[in-house]
Amino acid sequence: MGDQTLAKRQAAFLRSVLDESAPLPEGWGNSQTVGMSVYRGNYRSALVGALESTFERTARYVGEGPFKQVSAHHAIAHPPSGWTIEEAGAGFDATCAELFANNPEVAELAWLEWAMLKVSRAPDIQPFGATEFGEATAEFGDKDWMGLKLEFQPRAEAREVKANLSGLWSALEEGADGDRPASLLDQPKGCIVSREGELPTFQMVTPEAAHAFDAMQKGAAYGEAIMLLAGENPDAEKIQQAAVQAGGMLGEWLNEGLIVGVRA
Amino acid sequence: MEHQHSIAPFGGIGLGLRRTHYEDFLETDVPVDFVEVISENYMIEGGKQLRILEEVRAKHPVILHGVSMSIGSAGGLDSDHLGKLKLLEQRIDPLWVSDHLCWTRTSAHNSHDLLPMPLTEEALSAVCANIDHAQNALGRAMLFENPSSYLTFPEDEMSEWEFLSEMTRRTGCYLLLDVNNIYVSARNHGFSADDYLAGLPLDRVRQIHLAGHDPATKERPVIIDTHDRAVVDGVWDLYAKAIAMLPQPVATMIERDEDIPPLPELLTELDRARGIANEAMVPA
Repeated sequence: MGDQTLAKRQAAFLRSVLDESAPLPEGWGNSQTVGMSVYRGNYRSALVGALESTFERTARYVGEGPFKQVSAHHAIAHPPSGWTIEEAGAGFDATCAELFANNPEVAELAWLEWAMLKVSRAPDIQPFGATEFGEATAEFGDKDWMGLKLEFQPRAEAREVKANLSGLWSALEEGADGDRPASLLDQPKGCIVSREGELPTFQMVTPEAAHAFDAMQKGAAYGEAIMLLAGENPDAEKIQQAAVQAGGMLGEWLNEGLIVGVRA
Repeated sequence: MEHQHSIAPFGGIGLGLRRTHYEDFLETDVPVDFVEVISENYMIEGGKQLRILEEVRAKHPVILHGVSMSIGSAGGLDSDHLGKLKLLEQRIDPLWVSDHLCWTRTSAHNSHDLLPMPLTEEALSAVCANIDHAQNALGRAMLFENPSSYLTFPEDEMSEWEFLSEMTRRTGCYLLLDVNNIYVSARNHGFSADDYLAGLPLDRVRQIHLAGHDPATKERPVIIDTHDRAVVDGVWDLYAKAIAMLPQPVATMIERDEDIPPLPELLTELDRARGIANEAMVPA
């Protein structure tokens, strides 16, 4: 695969682009040094620009200076490897969690923006309607229900959050000039990111619903989701309550168009 | 060179499709002969952006112009990138597919910048092997664009136009001539833009790019290709020379990626290109 000498030259060149303290290749003079400074500047500004574009609300929330700092830190700690520059945003929420350790809302806002971007480019799949769901499960017995697996919209995801994401999302919209709402919720909630038609959206739900959605999105069966909702060492009554709760969530997910298929 | 496809000349004036102008292209009849899009922006699985491209494609011929093929990478092409480009190509049925004579990545990292090739026989061999791979995978000949560059290498063995000429001869690929890039690199490296044009196989040119650039300063003695302002007179003059030398009609367009003005402003700038192209086609 290619010539080793060219490969070595390219590796050395890219090391110099990524790391300003890396020595320049042997034999380089002033003109190459000047040129390299342009490539270094291009690399950094392209990455910071891509992160600003993907995480525009996070950038508005923390302010231009701190955002440039966290972007530069992310670019140095996690130089991109994928062919699309947007992939540079992978793990940016973790970088925010590290650098804004006392402000968990920053990382959660970044997580939300990244999830919204991913779901916006997901395959276009028609949601499963209530009629189709009814037909697919018409012959189900108890065992079939417990083993039921749901296929959700591709790239839809859910997690528990502490941040007031719905309030922050509106307040940080481009051009919004109202007062900032409280950053954190009194009690944790859940957040499900999905698509409504071709537009990305999110909804705040209970933490339990987010956990159940996340588990089933990752392959858990309906019965396992019920047991997750029932908590540790549940008695029969708690399991019954969890089954009712799961049934309610299933109805909501169907109504919201989150389900695109079922597997027994 | 297994593929047998040639690219017929297409004369016309077009524009790079940018998000700022989506509404104009969807809701009005924009007077352009084609649009060019950045391939990677649409190498996605679904969603609004892809639907918009399909709607624009229904109204205009589309050119897919890539920035991430990394045709000069010693480590070869990225099969995931190539596969997704092929899917997009099948979906859009473009006039043609292009990318840049440059490299962007190693096996470890991606710079997301168009990095310069050493102009050596060794690099030429690597580029040609990659072009063969890409053209065979896509089942069509491609265009490659001459880059702007900010440094040359001590080990260079040939000029850029010699490199491009040999590249087209060995692979059957075509050229996307970026006139602004010739202007920028000529001034950065001290060669003659006229020599550059005279040294190219001009019958292989199918498209021309025009763009603005950031002039050199005392502190930064190189011109930078920025696509953030109007085309300068020197580039227009070079465009007029180039288009008068070409033996076939070509597709000409303006690239604007930053500080993008309203569409009417760009269309006025395009009129200047149209006027120059029309003048060049008038028999002497």
